Amino acid sequence: QMALVQNQLLCSFSSCSSWLPQRVPLRGNHWQSSLLELRTSLPVRAQPKKKKKVDVKKEQAQKERMKKKIKKLEKAAPELIPIEDFITPLKYSESNRVRSLPALSPEESERRVLLLKKWSLFKQKQDEAEKKAIKALVESQQEALKELRLESEELYQAAIRRDEALFPFERDGPSYTPPLPGYDPPEGKCIDITKVYTQ
Amino acid sequence: DALLGCHRSYRSRPTHGIGKFKYLLPKELPKRRKEKVQMKEIDAGTEYQYGDVNIQMTSYDLCLVEHFAQYVHRLCNRLSIRVNESYAMPTKTNEVLFLEERGSKMQLDAILTTHQRVVQIRGLSSTFAPILLEVIQSNQPEGVHLSVKQHTEADFKSRLKSRPELEELRAQMS
Repeated sequence: QMALVQNQLLCSFSSCSSWLPQRVPLRGNHWQSSLLELRTSLPVRAQPKKKKKVDVKKEQAQKERMKKKIKKLEKAAPELIPIEDFITPLKYSESNRVRSLPALSPEESERRVLLLKKWSLFKQKQDEAEKKAIKALVESQQEALKELRLESEELYQAAIRRDEALFPFERDGPSYTPPLPGYDPPEGKCIDITKVYTQ
Repeated sequence: DALLGCHRSYRSRPTHGIGKFKYLLPKELPKRRKEKVQMKEIDAGTEYQYGDVNIQMTSYDLCLVEHFAQYVHRLCNRLSIRVNESYAMPTKTNEVLFLEERGSKMQLDAILTTHQRVVQIRGLSSTFAPILLEVIQSNQPEGVHLSVKQHTEADFKSRLKSRPELEELRAQMS
């Protein structure tokens, strides 16, 4: 078994292209003094020392080159990924087709203007109601905190503190229809085809 | 220059400044250097105030999410909450395939684009935070997923382009 192991080592050292399973070990590697002892395979001579120096220098030079490359790349400022929403595709700006709208009758335009006015009034009322509600909430909160302060200072301080459990907060938007009870969706998969930008 | 640097004082003469024309041309603004994208300092916040908070709105519908983001921004302006930034995250595109009833081939159903908008606020007081959340929730449109988180460096880095070469070299170094 040892012989086979040594055989493999010898083959790798002497750079044989084909590994021949042989019982007789190859003696191509003259660094190895004996077949059975692997530890004495590195004799103490001048040549391997030179190899070490050159290797160390080469490694140092390589490292410096890599550091220089890294510095050069780091100099360039990081860029933000361009957002596809804000880039209009070319096909919408190339064509010259123009939409031809039908002419509106005066009653129709009158009706539209009045509708817009009613809608703006409705929205204004909605906005005012929201502002009022926020004000009322804040006022009632402040009153409650005042009362709490009169009750006990400790509880007041604890109530004023920020809530760590509040974030992260997640909520799905409301849906038009509730989910169907016995719905069996078809099998499928989702592939992410987002374009990956690299600098 | 030659006129004013001249030792002969003809400033009193009506021919003073003859030949000047640069004052007639439109003013050229100095060239603005491209501002480097740098991460701003993240505020941690005190005990009674939250630091940098990100309100992220995600949806498949672009117009809805844009309008909701605008609404949230205006709401914060009205309630005098400082808004650091209001930006868009890159869009994600997904291809949805489903298995046909008869047959083993996957059929293309649709290509969906997910859009996300972020409104970053600072200095939200602890007593006002639940009120703000209530208001935003009550106005949340259909299909828009709301998420409120603290801002982290990782959130900022996700907006930047990846640099595979730099990372490779860094991995080789260590």
